[in-house]
Amino acid sequence: MYRALPYILLFIAATLLQAFFFDHLVLGPLCSPLVYIAPVILLPLDTRPIAMLGTGLLCGLTADYAMGIAGLNIVATLPIAFLRPNIVALLSMREDNRDEGIPSPERMGARLFWSYVVAMAALHHLLFFTLEALSWEMLPRTLLRILLSGAVTVAAVGLAERLLTAKLVRP
Amino acid sequence: MRKLLEFIRSTYVAVLFILIELLALNAYARSTAYTEARLLARSNRAIGGVQAFCTGIGRFFRLGRENRILTARVAALEEQLTAYTEAGGEQKLREAFAELGPSKYRMGVASVVGNTTNRLRNYITVNRGRGDDLLSGMALTTPEGAIVGYILDCSEHYAVAASILNTAFRASGMLAAGDYYGSIHWDGRSPRYVTLDELPKYAEPKVGDEVLTTGFEPYFPKGMRIGTVESFTLNEAQMTYTVRVKLAADLTALGHLVVIDNLDRSEIEQLQESEAIRDFEQQ
Repeated sequence: MYRALPYILLFIAATLLQAFFFDHLVLGPLCSPLVYIAPVILLPLDTRPIAMLGTGLLCGLTADYAMGIAGLNIVATLPIAFLRPNIVALLSMREDNRDEGIPSPERMGARLFWSYVVAMAALHHLLFFTLEALSWEMLPRTLLRILLSGAVTVAAVGLAERLLTAKLVRP
Repeated sequence: MRKLLEFIRSTYVAVLFILIELLALNAYARSTAYTEARLLARSNRAIGGVQAFCTGIGRFFRLGRENRILTARVAALEEQLTAYTEAGGEQKLREAFAELGPSKYRMGVASVVGNTTNRLRNYITVNRGRGDDLLSGMALTTPEGAIVGYILDCSEHYAVAASILNTAFRASGMLAAGDYYGSIHWDGRSPRYVTLDELPKYAEPKVGDEVLTTGFEPYFPKGMRIGTVESFTLNEAQMTYTVRVKLAADLTALGHLVVIDNLDRSEIEQLQESEAIRDFEQQ
């Protein structure tokens, strides 16, 4: 429960940033960061699967509402919420990851942390932009969008992690 | 019970994930005409591939049964031929055939690559098309001689047929025991039964009676099997029977089919649509 408030604040901040900043920020047609997934990526590693799924649904639903899209954000966010334990296990080469706490470079190691954030953002953006384009002819453009938007999202998640671990959780 | 609860507990998150994901995907697909068309086209292609794979496996396991049916059919025909030969001598038989002239029916074979039975309008797709001389209006039967549908349209390599399990399918049927006939249609309920309507009260059907095609439509030759009488009721006016017919063909397990082409079909259809008949109808 002690961790709930920072995450509620993170969710509100990420949603507001997405709706009022990143959705209107003109970074060119190839860059549309989707930072609202930050709470899903930064939830403590020991979060129960049902809570992960609920967070993914909430983030996707809110983003859908804010962007005026029916279902696409949920379709892209739910798999990363559901597959997160598997992604962490796959990257850390450990089947039973019993780590607790917020994913951070200090806790996981810098390499594992950034691999994890990149994998989560890549999977989400891959699903989102592929389903948005629905065309093989636009594949090179879609891949470029995934790359550029993903890079900004990863940076934003990294920044959120710093704020979360440095200011909000630590006494 | 405890094991069931444990199973539910261990899988409910995955089930919930799949369920929500499908709902969201459905909502997204239906949000615009573009997404609907693109996603449906892709899902149809994927489902078609899986269906073809499953059909191939199913067909492999049905090969033995189909072989037995074909062998039995060959044996029955051989028996008939021997009886004819013994009765009249081969020369007489040849003369009789020569007198009859060439048959107006041409047969071929095709394999089912798609078949639905759970909708109101069901269709059968076979792996032969225009390139194999298939045309709309040709009949499809099982190797045992039970009708299953008729071809509606063909592409170069495939043909789509209206299944007998299609509420728009119409044919006439008669009892093998008499010449009375009625209208065959499907009520959209069980894939095992069709209805023979408007059978005159003089037909006096009995449970187990065989129902055959009349040959009135240009699609099906006369005397092909439709099914057997399961039950019947006399209508309120006590004039006609409504007969529930158990289908001879198992539409849920189709493999190889016989395609029958009536060479006189176009001539009959042209005649039926002739100006003289139209003029007569307008009088």
